[in-house]
Amino acid sequence: MSNPKHDKGEHYLTTPKAEPFLERLIFNNRAAILFGFLILTLFLGYNAVKIQPDASFERMIPLEHPYIVNMIENRDDLENLGNFVRIAVEAKDGDIFSKEYMETLKEITDEVFFLNGVDRAGLKSLWTANVRWVEVTEQGFQGGSVIPDGYDGSPASLEALRQNILRSNEVGRLVSDNFGSTVVYAPLYETSPETGEPLDYAQFSRQLEEQIRSKYEQQNPNVEIRIVGFAKKVGDLIEGIGSIAWFAGITIVLTTLLLFGYSRCISGTLVPVFASIVAVFWQLGALRLLGYGLDPYSVLVPFLVFAIGISHGVQVVNAMALEAAKGFDPITAARLAFRALYIPGMLALISDAFGFLTLLFIEIDVIKDLAVAAGLGVAIVIVTNLVLHPLIMSYIGITKGGIRHVQNHGEKQDRKWRVMSYFSHPSVAPISLLIAVLGLGLGVYYKQGLKVGDLDQGAPELRADSVYNQDNAFLINNYSSSADVLVVMVETPAEQCTQYNVLRAMDALQWELQNTPGVQSSASLADVSKIVTKALNEGNWKWYEISRNQTIINASIREAPAGLINTDCSLTPVLVFLEDHKAETLKTVVQVVEAFAAEASNDEHNFLLAAGNAGVEAATNEVISSAKNMMLVFVYGVVSLLCFVTFRSIRAVLCIVVPLGLTSILCEAIMAVSGIGIKVATLPVIALGVGIGVDYGIYIYTKLEKFLLEGKTLQEAYYETLRSTGKAVVFTGVTLGLGVVTWIFSPIKFQADMGFLLFFMFLWNMVGAIWLLPALARFLLRPERMVAKAQKAK
Amino acid sequence: MATRLTCKTLGSACLGMTMACSAPAAFALTDILETPARETRLAPTHLLTDVDSAGERIVAVGERGHIIFSDDEGKSWTQGHVPVSVTLTAVDFIGPETGWAVGHSGVVLKSEDAGANWAVQLDGVQAAELAIAGKEERAAELEAKIEEAPEEERGDLEWALDDLYFSIENMRADMDIGPVNPLLDVWFENDQFGFVVGAYGMLLRTEDGGASWQDWSGRLDNSSGYHLNAVTRITGGALAIVGEAGQIHVSVDHGETWELRDSPYPGSLFGVIGTGNVNEILAFGLRGNVLLSTDLGKSWNIVPSGASATLNGGMVSEDGRITLVGNGGVILVSSNDAESFRQSYREDREGVMSVVPVSDTNILIVGEHGATVTDARGQDL
Repeated sequence: MSNPKHDKGEHYLTTPKAEPFLERLIFNNRAAILFGFLILTLFLGYNAVKIQPDASFERMIPLEHPYIVNMIENRDDLENLGNFVRIAVEAKDGDIFSKEYMETLKEITDEVFFLNGVDRAGLKSLWTANVRWVEVTEQGFQGGSVIPDGYDGSPASLEALRQNILRSNEVGRLVSDNFGSTVVYAPLYETSPETGEPLDYAQFSRQLEEQIRSKYEQQNPNVEIRIVGFAKKVGDLIEGIGSIAWFAGITIVLTTLLLFGYSRCISGTLVPVFASIVAVFWQLGALRLLGYGLDPYSVLVPFLVFAIGISHGVQVVNAMALEAAKGFDPITAARLAFRALYIPGMLALISDAFGFLTLLFIEIDVIKDLAVAAGLGVAIVIVTNLVLHPLIMSYIGITKGGIRHVQNHGEKQDRKWRVMSYFSHPSVAPISLLIAVLGLGLGVYYKQGLKVGDLDQGAPELRADSVYNQDNAFLINNYSSSADVLVVMVETPAEQCTQYNVLRAMDALQWELQNTPGVQSSASLADVSKIVTKALNEGNWKWYEISRNQTIINASIREAPAGLINTDCSLTPVLVFLEDHKAETLKTVVQVVEAFAAEASNDEHNFLLAAGNAGVEAATNEVISSAKNMMLVFVYGVVSLLCFVTFRSIRAVLCIVVPLGLTSILCEAIMAVSGIGIKVATLPVIALGVGIGVDYGIYIYTKLEKFLLEGKTLQEAYYETLRSTGKAVVFTGVTLGLGVVTWIFSPIKFQADMGFLLFFMFLWNMVGAIWLLPALARFLLRPERMVAKAQKAK
Repeated sequence: MATRLTCKTLGSACLGMTMACSAPAAFALTDILETPARETRLAPTHLLTDVDSAGERIVAVGERGHIIFSDDEGKSWTQGHVPVSVTLTAVDFIGPETGWAVGHSGVVLKSEDAGANWAVQLDGVQAAELAIAGKEERAAELEAKIEEAPEEERGDLEWALDDLYFSIENMRADMDIGPVNPLLDVWFENDQFGFVVGAYGMLLRTEDGGASWQDWSGRLDNSSGYHLNAVTRITGGALAIVGEAGQIHVSVDHGETWELRDSPYPGSLFGVIGTGNVNEILAFGLRGNVLLSTDLGKSWNIVPSGASATLNGGMVSEDGRITLVGNGGVILVSSNDAESFRQSYREDREGVMSVVPVSDTNILIVGEHGATVTDARGQDL
């Protein structure tokens, strides 16, 4: 390095020829290429701006899984079963029996009635006519609406209301057990029956916030409004995607500051940031052209692209500053930097891309989309940060301040690198290995507690303390209801879904399930039939049984809720309400159903899993746990293969990959300890962590090998490696970490989990490369043989 | 089936093993009359329809063939082994050891070990066969009578005969479906003599502890086949049956002949008990109606109960206090021989089906959500 003119770069990796073809091609047509980039950026940027958020439910579930196939096949028949919102209106002081409270409830009911998307006929509240009390008399049934005739808010009419509610069977459903709140229940149309347009969840959720929650909490300070339901949850999720913009801003500012602190050069700071932002625009634009939207998962990819872009940009800036410090003009410095970096850079980026593409093996669309988006992004970074960036820099050059910074800090830095080079020392390396083995042991021990699926109560996508989950907890505590529903579909021949044998079989399944740990309760046509048969027999509980007489059954289910029978009576669901959605709960319950289905399914009734949020989660968990190991094998296989092809040495592969493996295991241990399960969101983290984490190893090993081949001792070679690239590697780890760390504050729980885990993996992979790689090299590499081999090859 | 037969042939020694024998077939969907009740911890908190004392022990029956018993006044429960999964509707113990339970699909169960093990004595198919045979016999008698009857009486008799034939046809049609009708109450005097009553006027009598049954429904004046809801013995020795449409049947000759009393209330009666005084009958049912007779039903007083919910069951404590229980969590208590009642409601407003005393001050109620020990007025302890 001391005499650049003779630094021909004998090594096949860094400079196969003094001026590789690619370098000539790019640097001899600088203006034309830059112009082309400008056009491309304008075009893709235009598309990037127009990309739409898209929180499609279907893309987040494993469409190939048999449960989901069954669910989608029967979706039309099940449609309105799960899509509703419940608005609980709580009286903060006293109970619901006050004139003011009932007035507010009435206004809310009216307001909800007119919301777009509400199935008005199915709307239920104390103020709707379909909520009635019923009493058996000598002449038959007698009943009326719960709001007494001539209601005027007087104490007498409120007392009559109380009596009607008690007779109405709505305590626990529409009225909370303690009379402290009541519910407005609004079933929704998936597609508007008038316009045929799908329900706009974001807009609907916003309307609930503005026209219901804030409006009436303001109007009557004594009420608090709680809203739960799939539509509200999706609305909140889409809202959450919006907050990502803030994180993007914060990340860019932090990274820029960090970059300036690192390079002390305005152009060395702004150009990589600019090139990385260009990469993000290209990536988003390309995604839109390919027909993708931004879902809560793929919205994170631009952060990765930006961070990866910066980390490679840093390598370019670093290399240019070193060359410029030797006195080269900007264009030569840029060429030399390009020459030194394009192969390891491309290798690192290609292994990133392949690491991401292993995610394609998971049969869940959002993960596949993530793979495509991230793979595309990384491919783009190759162009923007390995070509565009040096090209721009070749015009601008590193500022004087930047060059001075490199020169001034040389000595101080060198001392630090000198100390760190002892990681490869024969007496330090064994200690490092011992610590690594200990860490491995601890990791393996703790990762035994690793669970599949979502572990927290409530809607797993949102945080436990989010408004939605607090509302959800309120409803669970005050009403007989569970948020976790597994739906077993019972297929029968047409017009046969109400036969005695079908009801009897469903009833048998339900009782098995209710005796299964984790099951709270269940409901089906069998329950309706029993309850109504009882009611038809003057309300006598002794008649609580499914009649063998089909005529009685038919009478008993005449008023069965829509959704329990499909149009041609060939499908009827069993709803199973679970205590939680932990993977073990789901697994136990699903196993009971499968064992039952295997025994009891026949021509009359075929039991199919599964719909409902718990059914989807059970399927997702199965896909995730079976995909996890395969994905690990593939991602490590691909990374190892790429390293082997490049360095032609198993020992090199081990030096690079073993630290990654340690990080992966520690990551799983951390997940187990901090209660993060393996799920759609965290599975990609492993692939992303390994795919990106390998960069550090590649950069370090490339240099290390180069210096070893020059005949230096291991520690000396490692010292030189650290001097030339160590700073860039540390910086890369920090930038990548910064790129994801802001997600921890996302209102969307899984984004926070991803941020936390990626932050850990990016930083720790960097530590592994700097600390463990040289220790492994001490034991694995044979420098003399490497030199001999290289000479022989020449 | 093979395992079940083994169980049966090995006799009662194997009865304790019923659950084990049938466990592998738990999912195979046999008829509920052939499906043993699943062993479950949920039985004490799910629907229970009736409760009775068997000496110190309390035995309750309910949905899905549940029979549970408690030796500690309802604090803890053990589930008996029951060979059927039908909803059971009533239980009656004559002493600490022997008792009967009845339920849907016309099932009669007997236990001779204080409720631990139960065996089927009769099912709805047999019950229906008995009823059809009984009706055919009556039809034959009626035909003979028509032959001999004077011309002017023949018309009425022929009407009655047509009714009988129609009813026999109906029952035959029901037989094709299976044992469709439930038994609703059971009463035994001792280990030999007892009655069961049920839907559509079913009434069966036994004189050999349930080994054989006779169709007794022809002895009641119930040609419309109204449901019979309850049967009991009144202090003094008379027997009483109440049912749908205000029916009150009384027998003073040990059930040989029955007389239909004039009811002051046309709605359904769900329960009947003696007040503890000789010849006093207390009947109750729909909409909180309570009827009291001090002369075996010849005359009736309507007792103002204040309740509007259906009353399902009742009991007389040793000190003469009368407790009636019903839907909507209503509990009525009378300390003046049913002249008047004090009403209270349980906070959960859930239906209460039956009641037994557990101590001087407390009662045990069963109903919609299982068994609960409460104070004398039905309030949680």
